[in-house]
Amino acid sequence: MLKKLLVAGALAAMTLGASPVHAEFPERTVENIFPWSAGTALSVSQVIAKAMGEELGVSVPVISTPGAAGTKAFITAMNRPADGYTIFDGYVAPLVLQPVLGNADWTYKDFKPLHSAVSNAFSIGGRKGETRWTDFEGLMAYGKANPGKLRYSSGSRNNLPHMVIAKVLQSYGVVAQNIPYKTDGDARKDLKAGVLDFSFVNVGAYLQDKEGFEILLVLSELPGAKASYDGAPSITDMNIDLGLSGLAPMGWTWWLVHKDTPDDVADVLRAAMKRAMNRDDVKEQISRVGFVPLDWDHTQYDEIVGPVAGQLGAMSNALAWEEEELKKLR
Amino acid sequence: MLVDSLISGFGLFMTPLALGLTLLGVLFGLLVGALPGLGPLMGIILLLPVAIGLPPVAAMGFLIAIFVGGSCGGSISAILLRIPGTPLAAATLFDGYPMAQKGRASDAIGIAISSSALGGLFGGLVLIFAAPALARVASNFAPPEYTALAITGLIAIAVISDGSLIKGLISGGFGLLLATIGTDEFSTGYRFTFGSHHMLNGFHIVAVVVGLFAISEMAYQCMSGDLLAKPKITVARPGFRSVLTTLRHWKNLLRSSVIGGFFGALPGAGGVISSFTAYAVAKAMAKPEEKYGEGAEGGVVATESSNNATVGGTLVPSLALGIPGDASSAVLIGALLILGYFPGPTLFEQQPEIVGGIFLVYLASNVFLLIAGILATPLFVYVLRVPKVFLIPTVLLLCSIGTYALQASVFDLFVMLGFGLVGILLRAASYPLAPVVIGIILGPLLENNLRRSLLISQDGYWIFLDRPVSALLLGINVLLIAGAIWFAIRQGRKTGDVSEVTGQS
Repeated sequence: MLKKLLVAGALAAMTLGASPVHAEFPERTVENIFPWSAGTALSVSQVIAKAMGEELGVSVPVISTPGAAGTKAFITAMNRPADGYTIFDGYVAPLVLQPVLGNADWTYKDFKPLHSAVSNAFSIGGRKGETRWTDFEGLMAYGKANPGKLRYSSGSRNNLPHMVIAKVLQSYGVVAQNIPYKTDGDARKDLKAGVLDFSFVNVGAYLQDKEGFEILLVLSELPGAKASYDGAPSITDMNIDLGLSGLAPMGWTWWLVHKDTPDDVADVLRAAMKRAMNRDDVKEQISRVGFVPLDWDHTQYDEIVGPVAGQLGAMSNALAWEEEELKKLR
Repeated sequence: MLVDSLISGFGLFMTPLALGLTLLGVLFGLLVGALPGLGPLMGIILLLPVAIGLPPVAAMGFLIAIFVGGSCGGSISAILLRIPGTPLAAATLFDGYPMAQKGRASDAIGIAISSSALGGLFGGLVLIFAAPALARVASNFAPPEYTALAITGLIAIAVISDGSLIKGLISGGFGLLLATIGTDEFSTGYRFTFGSHHMLNGFHIVAVVVGLFAISEMAYQCMSGDLLAKPKITVARPGFRSVLTTLRHWKNLLRSSVIGGFFGALPGAGGVISSFTAYAVAKAMAKPEEKYGEGAEGGVVATESSNNATVGGTLVPSLALGIPGDASSAVLIGALLILGYFPGPTLFEQQPEIVGGIFLVYLASNVFLLIAGILATPLFVYVLRVPKVFLIPTVLLLCSIGTYALQASVFDLFVMLGFGLVGILLRAASYPLAPVVIGIILGPLLENNLRRSLLISQDGYWIFLDRPVSALLLGINVLLIAGAIWFAIRQGRKTGDVSEVTGQS
């Protein structure tokens, strides 16, 4: 009896010991570390994660890890083993913008790309029935005549919409007060209530209440973005040269893994995400929210993200300019 | 218009799938609510990927039912174990647990479930009849009004602090200090993070609540001995007479539901504030013989009706304006968008059948909560018959799993354990725990809205008086503070010393 037990134990030990060698990735749950609080963007990541999980044969839960403009999620993911079981939901703010602002010590090159996920265009919007101006040029003229009096929100501070709007204001020489909010929805509520003068409005918010907003300027040169806002004027129409093109003035995320992740593991994830992003049901669900599904694969990461990093770096003084000008007015 | 949308939504609602998933959602919600750590938000997030593959009304029914069940489920563990399953139920243990200690656990749970369902139904009526109008009122609440409301919430500490006002205020102040940890929303600078990335968003409120209440309670249970004893508790089925018992407190029920519906309709306020406020108001208006804090039925009615009415209220800005009332409704909006429907005024105009269907699944969730909850109460109360030697490790294990699941973070487990120790120390020194939770919840609301108001203002602090609603709320706050001071002085004179106020003996 004892002998049988010993043999069985030895066989079990051999099986267990051998399993990692022959194991096929993935053997367990792959986690997506998402950098924001629960909301629409998290739901979009869940759509992709669900499809990717179906392709991989394991579940891919999306774990909301908000804090410090998304950098907490990145640091959390970086501290995990580079084994492919942790995916960075690589939003532009923690991936590119925070390093540009000196709040993070990594660059986009420090990660291994899987596949591009989604982009989300945004605009400068006012409320319906505004009597002080009728268009964006009128808003700028008012702002120029009343320095420091206009109040606007980009949701949270020092995020991409804040930087892009500050750059637009800088190009017109308009000084306005940024008011940070915990959620974008709160900012839009106060815009409609007359507490704010203008605010950033993303496509999803516009689609929910087209009658509630007057879209003054679409902050993208892409024709698709202009169409999403029913043909509202864009930076191209205004001949505003922000020095931003492609994805640079937009929110977007590119899913990534730790740079030390083995190539064969990364390839499995890349293939699964590519198949997921090519699925019609996934594209449709993402599009319904007002986000745009992206189809760039990992080979185009440097080509697409590189210029974004360069352009955002070149305009990083806009936030400092806004702060300085407001200080002068106090 | 309203009747039309309900009739057109009836066909989408009255399907086996929609009804079945609504019932399933309520049961799942009760479970995630009762388990310490998990809550309605986590339940909704977990099942969103399943829901988005379903027909719209069935999907929303599933998720909304989790929200409804989860908002009530926390009361079960609060009553039975003195552990709020969610922060929403932190005020329920004031009277729910003493009721259970007096052998009325079944009654307490029955009242909690009845109050939740009736409060939720009231919230549903608000949602159906007043959504667009209430949403317009709520949308005019701006940072100055939120600042004034946060001050009102802090004043509630004075009412709910049994024994010592000073100790209650110290606990509340401790909570306010804890709320300052993390990334400052305005300067984006880090505060008290000590170089740790785990601290960049402060302590997770659920880890703190589970630590303060659950870990400290389990420690006290261990210290009280009788670990192997099998408590002889007769499990009485409360039956549907709980509804009648609850209805005997109809004024309290109605008032607390109004408070819950109102706070729910204000984006960012939420169920925790509404349940504490409803409790404070109920206690302040109660007769001394009702003995709040010692097992008063009214205490359970107030907290549970208000936090479930908050769910209905939360759906008001979410559906009518597309602005989420809280994190759970933000995920619900995300689900609705993925399903292809845009919450907001156009949803009411262009897809009234979806609006009607959502109204109906919400109402059905509350009815199912009442039936399923009452029928399952004996099962819940059976927990009290489990010897401590099994109960304590099981609760600790569930606490750990629930807390870890929040962010898949081991650090959160250390936070839970650390605050367990803090909870033990506070209880040993007779400091109330609930004000700590109020402080943590209200801290950011007060600080950020105060600073936001001053940034918006072109005229300094006058913004608080220039806006009529803000000025009115501040006036009420001044009266409440004056009343609390007057009451404390009067009590002190009656007893002949100041121990009533300071808690010193």
